[in-house]
Amino acid sequence: MGILFFVFIVAFPFYWMIVSSLRPLEEILMNPANLGLDIHKIDLSAYYDVLFDHGFVRYILNSLYVSIITAALSVALSTVGGYAVTRLRFRGQSFMSYSILIIYMFPAIVLVIPLYVIFSHMGLRDSINVLILVYLAQTLPVALYMLRSYFKTLPLEMENAGLIDGCTRFGVIWRIIIPLSAPALASVALYTFMIAWNEFLFAFMFLDTPDKFTLSRGVVQMAGSIHLSKQLVMAASVLITLPILFLFLFFERYLVRGMTSGAMKG
Amino acid sequence: MASLTLKNIGKRFGKVVALSGVDLHVEDGEFCVLLGPSGCGKSTLLNVIAGLVPQDRGTVELDSHSVDRLAPRDRDVAMVFQSYALYPHMTVAKNLGFGLRMRGVPKTTIREKVLDTASLLGIDGLLNRKPRELSGGQRQRVAMGRALVRRPKLFLLDEPLSNLDARLRANVRLELKQLHSRLKTTIVYVTHDQVEAMTLGEKVVVMRDGAVRQTGRPETIYSFPADTFVATFIGSPEMNLYRGMILHNGEHSVFQGRGFSMDIGDLRLNPMEGEVDVGFRPEDVKIVEAGTGKLHARVEMISDVGSEKYIHTRIGQEHLTLRATKYASFQPDEIIDLAIDAARLHIFQKGVRVN
Repeated sequence: MGILFFVFIVAFPFYWMIVSSLRPLEEILMNPANLGLDIHKIDLSAYYDVLFDHGFVRYILNSLYVSIITAALSVALSTVGGYAVTRLRFRGQSFMSYSILIIYMFPAIVLVIPLYVIFSHMGLRDSINVLILVYLAQTLPVALYMLRSYFKTLPLEMENAGLIDGCTRFGVIWRIIIPLSAPALASVALYTFMIAWNEFLFAFMFLDTPDKFTLSRGVVQMAGSIHLSKQLVMAASVLITLPILFLFLFFERYLVRGMTSGAMKG
Repeated sequence: MASLTLKNIGKRFGKVVALSGVDLHVEDGEFCVLLGPSGCGKSTLLNVIAGLVPQDRGTVELDSHSVDRLAPRDRDVAMVFQSYALYPHMTVAKNLGFGLRMRGVPKTTIREKVLDTASLLGIDGLLNRKPRELSGGQRQRVAMGRALVRRPKLFLLDEPLSNLDARLRANVRLELKQLHSRLKTTIVYVTHDQVEAMTLGEKVVVMRDGAVRQTGRPETIYSFPADTFVATFIGSPEMNLYRGMILHNGEHSVFQGRGFSMDIGDLRLNPMEGEVDVGFRPEDVKIVEAGTGKLHARVEMISDVGSEKYIHTRIGQEHLTLRATKYASFQPDEIIDLAIDAARLHIFQKGVRVN
C-alpha cells in the first residue's frame, strides 16, 4: 500500500507532464482535466517550438557542457583527493576529511547571496565557467566522501604490490585504483552530472544572458514569459528529465558490479 | 642477487615501538627466515626493507649500498604478500608481466619471460584467466611468479603459505626450497610458523617485540636457544622449563624445582646466585625401567599424533611433557621413571642462556 502511494506521488506528475506535452494546445485548453492520451492526436509540435523557437537547442548544449565538464572535473579531482585523504599521511589529514563534509552542510541558499556579491564585484557573474566552479564546490564534498569510503575497501597490499612492481603513486592510482574503482567513479560521475544538470538556484542567480542559460534556467524563463503555454513548459520539462533518466538506466548496471573479487585469498 | 645488511633499524608507530635496533646480515643467495609471534615487527621489518614503510633510524643496504633514499620501485626487490594482492582486473599473464611492463621491457621479452616463469611454476595453462577464476593454490603461484619473473636482487615473502590448507602448504614449502636451491636467490621470508622456519631457513632470525632475539642456523637455534623466549617459542611440543635454585652437593650440582629436584651433572659454571631456569626438550627425556630413574613422574594425559605419542605428566608441582614412540602404552596415574641427559639441559639465568 505504502509503495503504491509513493509510486503514485512520483509517477503521476511525471505521467501528466508527458501527456500534456504531447496533446495539442486546443485540447488542453478545452479539457484540462482529461488525463487520457489519444494516440491519433499526438502532437509533437510543442517539442519543435521549444527546441527551435525558444532556443532550447542552445540551452541543452549549455547544460551538457556544464554537466559534462563538472562531472569530469569532479571525478578527476575527487579521485586524487579521495586517495590522498584515504592513504597518504599528512599533517591535518583528519581535519581535512571532516572539513570536507562540513562544507557540504552549508545550504546553497546561504552561499548564493554572498557568492553573488563577490562574483559581481569580480566581474565573474554571467559566465558558464563560473557556474562550473560553483557546481564543483557543491559536488566535490560528496564525491570525495563517496570515493573515500570506496578506496578504503581496496586492499592496501595491492597498492604496495604496484609500488614494488615499479609504479609511482600516480601510476598506482592510474593503473590499479582507477580500473578497480570503475563502479564508484561511475556513481560519482552520475551524481555530479545530475546535480549540475538539475541545478537551478545558482544558474538563476548568476546567468543573465539567454545565450548562456542552462536548461532549468531556460524553462523558468519560458514559464515566466507572458504568453505562457502549458504545453510548451511541459515539453521543456520532459527535455530536462529524459536525458537524466536514460543516463541513469544506462549507468545503473555499472554501479553495483564488484570489481575486486579474486585479488585476495578469497 | 645481492646481500642485504640492516643496521640498527628503528621504527615507531605513534607510541608503539615496532622495531628497535634491528641488525641483520643476509648473504648473497641465502634463505633467511624472520620468525616470531604476530605483532613482533617482522612484517614491518619486511616493509622497511621493501621501502614501503620508512624507518625512523638505521640503514638498509643492498650489496653494501644504502637504498634508504630509493623508492620501492627503484630498490629492485620483489615481494609476495600474504593475501597475494594480485591485480584482479588483469589476466594472469598481465599480472606476471606488470613489473616488466612498468620497467619498459620490450613486449617480446616480456612474453618470453612470462612464459618461462609460468612453466617453471606450472601455471602456463592459466595465463589467460583472471585471478577470480583461480583456486587459492593457483593464486599463490601467480603471486610467486609475479615476484620471480623480474629476477630481482632480493625476494621478500610475507607469510606466503599461510592461506593454503595444510597439505598444499607442505607441498609448496618443498617446492619453494627446491626453487631456491635451483635459482640461488636471496630471500627474506616472514613467518610465524616454526616448521616453515626450520625447514626452509638457512638462517633463522627469531624476533620478539620489535627486536632480534637470536640469529643462527635452524639447528643452532633449536639446540642452543639464546634465551627463554626462543627456547619455548621453538619446538613443539614446547620445551619443559622450570624455575628453581641450583644447589651444590659435593661434586654434583642439583637443581631444586618446585616439588622435585634433579641432578644436573658436572656443570662448569661459576657458583650461581639466585634463581635459574632449567629446560630440556621433550625428546631429551628418556623413560627408563622402574626403579632405575631418579625422576618420578605421574602420567596425566597422552596425546597420540600418529607417528609418536606425547606423554603429559606431572613432576612435583610442575608439568613435564615427553615424546615417546607410537608403541608406548601408559595409563593415566601410572608412575614412570625418567632419566635426563645432563648435557642436553638448557640453563638460563635472568632469561639468558648461561651454559
